[in-house]
Amino acid sequence: MKVSRDEVRRIADLAHLAFDDAGLDRMAEELTKILSYIDQLSEVDVRGFEEHAEGATPMRDDVPRPSVDRELVARNAPAWSDDHFVVPKVIGGE
Amino acid sequence: MSELLDLPWHEARQQASARELVDASLAAIRNDRLNAFLRVADGAAEGQPIAVKDNIVTTDMPTTCASRILSNFVSPFDATAVARLRAAGASIVGKTNLDEFAMGSSTEHSAFGPTRNPWDPSRVAGGSSGGSAAAVAARMVPAALGSETGGSVRQPAAFCGVVGLKPTYGRVSRWGLVAFASGLDQIGIVTKTVRECAELLGVIAGSDAMDSTSSPRPVDDYAADLGAGVRGLRFGVVREAVEKLEGEVRTNFDEALAVLRGGGAIVEEASVPTLRYAIAIYYIVANAEASANLARFDGVRYGHRSAQSPTLDDLYFHSRGEGFGAEVKRRIMLGTFALSSGYYDAYYGRAQSVRARMRHDFGEAFHRFDYLVTPTTPEPAFPIGAKTADPLSMYLSDVFTAPANLVGIPAIAVPSGFSKEGLPLSLQIMGPHFSERALFRAAAFFEGETGWWGRRPAA
Repeated sequence: MKVSRDEVRRIADLAHLAFDDAGLDRMAEELTKILSYIDQLSEVDVRGFEEHAEGATPMRDDVPRPSVDRELVARNAPAWSDDHFVVPKVIGGE
Repeated sequence: MSELLDLPWHEARQQASARELVDASLAAIRNDRLNAFLRVADGAAEGQPIAVKDNIVTTDMPTTCASRILSNFVSPFDATAVARLRAAGASIVGKTNLDEFAMGSSTEHSAFGPTRNPWDPSRVAGGSSGGSAAAVAARMVPAALGSETGGSVRQPAAFCGVVGLKPTYGRVSRWGLVAFASGLDQIGIVTKTVRECAELLGVIAGSDAMDSTSSPRPVDDYAADLGAGVRGLRFGVVREAVEKLEGEVRTNFDEALAVLRGGGAIVEEASVPTLRYAIAIYYIVANAEASANLARFDGVRYGHRSAQSPTLDDLYFHSRGEGFGAEVKRRIMLGTFALSSGYYDAYYGRAQSVRARMRHDFGEAFHRFDYLVTPTTPEPAFPIGAKTADPLSMYLSDVFTAPANLVGIPAIAVPSGFSKEGLPLSLQIMGPHFSERALFRAAAFFEGETGWWGRRPAA
């Protein structure tokens, strides 16, 4: 599978990663090489083994209980104010 | 170097107090020349010293995952495995180096520099649990926790000449293990001897309300059969793994089989036709899951936040761009690609189907055999820098270890001798789901017959 630079740019946007032009070219080359190796999976006869979920993960009852200490969470936050994480303004525009 | 740390710990405990053991370990860690440790505990409590890979969270030390994006992170809670160790009298003496987010096979992808192999510091310690394996091999700690997604405990254990266990998927709670690929991840153990490994699994195994994939099966008495030998047990030699083996690894493996036969084991050829697809499956499945799991590192709630973040999108892109290393970005890209519209069926779906077929192949083999054996790695530890320019060649060093993760079975790496250059070689023994007790039985027999664990690196 040959991966183009435009395709890498599309994937990088989905993944919230940015690359400069040289980085895009390098990534296209590396992904092409790795995916060419992975393409050997297409030679396997998988009839009767079509993708299926393993036994479902059991669910627990949705019961309120104490969680981690908010003070310890705040200590790891890059920006924190009035018991909230602070991020750049996302509504209202310029 | 304290001789206490040369002993299996049940002997060390008889000869020294818990305080002396911890102090001996702390002194050895402070003298670490291998870059095995990212952090040493301040004033570690008295107890059985143990090191923990730095992707397993601890409240008393930071957990960095060897990544710049988490360089200041201190967890508000202990991982379940850590809490169980502490409750059983262990003292966490330090956090060990790894490939960033456990993504790698050499510990060269650590943001804080590679771990060196104690048998030859110009070579890698393996990875991703390279710090844990090097620390145990160099006798800095008697034991360490690592983690496995595709061989990350067994491969470095093999490269460093120590015992490495990957338990059955679900045997040990992953609560507090920073997630890489949740369908594969499992906490593992590195020790000098099989007995120490069996005793430790008994401490950390068992169900946990905080990890719904942890198994409710009762915890076994893992050390019960250590002296039971291998007479009459059936070992399958995986043909697809060994048919192209050459040189010292081949000779060493044949010698290991002779040791098993000498103990009365039945050793015959087994076949796992899909084995050769393990790395191709692994790099799709693991990285698809990783791309989702690592979305949480966004600069909002913890970890690195870029100074260049006028908008929320800038904050995401720049925090991740500055925080993640090249290999992590490559894997997120590969995983995102495999899950993206237009490619999902051809890559992710296909990989899961071949994985299902591999699971079937292993099931068939375990109808005939109690164990399946291969060398743990196709070659001994490689020189630092030898594979970093070629990601695919690095990935292929996990070709014998990744299948156990894909199938969910337990597997153990046990030292099997040394190459002419003095590098450790290793035998891998795999068993059916939840067969850890039987794995320890076979590994203990092999260890007892060969005694390789007693040799220690000069460094």
